[in-house]
Amino acid sequence: ESLDDSQVAGVCATEEVVRYEYHVLYSSSYQVPVLYFRACFLDGRPLTLDEIWKSVHACYQARLLEGPWDTITQQEHPLLGQPFFVLHPCRTNEFMSSILTGSRKQTRHTNYIILWLSTVGPVVGLNLPLSYAKLGPEQNTNTD
Amino acid sequence: MTDDKDVLRDVWFGRIPTCFTLYQDEITEREAEPYYLLLPRISYLTLVTDKVKKHFQKVMRQEEVSEIWFEYEGTPLKWHYPIGLLFDLHASNTALPWSITVHFKNFPEKDLLHCHSKDVIEAHFMACIKEADALKHKSQVINEMQKKDHKQLWMGLQNDKFEQFWAINRKLMEYPPEDSGFRYIPFRIYQATTERPFIQKLFRPVASGGQLHTLGDLLKDVCPSAISPEDGEQKTQVMIHGIEPMLETPIQWLSEHMSYPDNFLHISIVPRPTD
Repeated sequence: ESLDDSQVAGVCATEEVVRYEYHVLYSSSYQVPVLYFRACFLDGRPLTLDEIWKSVHACYQARLLEGPWDTITQQEHPLLGQPFFVLHPCRTNEFMSSILTGSRKQTRHTNYIILWLSTVGPVVGLNLPLSYAKLGPEQNTNTD
Repeated sequence: MTDDKDVLRDVWFGRIPTCFTLYQDEITEREAEPYYLLLPRISYLTLVTDKVKKHFQKVMRQEEVSEIWFEYEGTPLKWHYPIGLLFDLHASNTALPWSITVHFKNFPEKDLLHCHSKDVIEAHFMACIKEADALKHKSQVINEMQKKDHKQLWMGLQNDKFEQFWAINRKLMEYPPEDSGFRYIPFRIYQATTERPFIQKLFRPVASGGQLHTLGDLLKDVCPSAISPEDGEQKTQVMIHGIEPMLETPIQWLSEHMSYPDNFLHISIVPRPTD
């Protein structure tokens, strides 16, 4: 059954510009960095959790649905007091230690924040340019 | 020891007489009567106000009703803060009953978290308990518990069952016999006058020499303005569950006996009434 003009118009997604705001905070309770973010359309209307969820790439969605502790929830920003979305931090130590042990075996210089942000950021639309990974040893801080 | 257990009960059963009034701009089919309720200090607004919602929805048209939210004197009330904390922080020295305004429209997206179901409250409550245990026990006690124990904490809170709750919570209040207390104390200090919603820092209950740190020690360390007297007069009150504990109280004792069910000490710094 071929689509007529009105149906084609319905199928095309309306393109809307979304403004994302990312904050990297440190949780003293879990002693790991935590990614807070929020998004709104240009008219100021904030995205709902559903809309945020839909914008998460399909390959990450399955993983996020597996564990409640890797999921995105709405939380109060501890300094601004406003609602943000957060990737729950309690698994961070787990995946970060396996990455860090591996790179230490190769005696590669590691920048904890870049390692961490390049892992969690893409899940919520924050992609670090590769140039961050090309920083030389003298520009890196070793983790201990 | 009986006295200490009494404190646990007094904290659990604390109530605040509240009068809920529908916001005047909400569209109703008939006049909305105010609704009176005793709110548990230790619970959350969206967990205990089903009757309030039903009462006002009866006089409204279905299409006028979306997510309920509460406000006190123009300030949207954060449902994810315990009720007792909200009262102490915003209305502690005002006449009872506490007058809260109910809204069903114009949800303040920039101020309040959404609360579409009881699951959201449960997730928030459990996240607080887990964070508290990360501080107290490096998460060892909470992670050793089974899922049904976690559920029992939530059900105890939801159904107002002191014994059911404390059967599990007592494990979160224990510490190794060789230590004198928890690793760090879970606490948050709130002050309505600051932009920052709360102060939370790492704080040990025991000094290196073995002395127990007090509430005064905690405040001196993280919020000195709360206790430094200006002109020799104390302009503020340090309030937990509606009372001013003595500053000499060991913080370890306060953490074990006056935490909220989420295992945090929620401390309010409020202006001292001048009368």
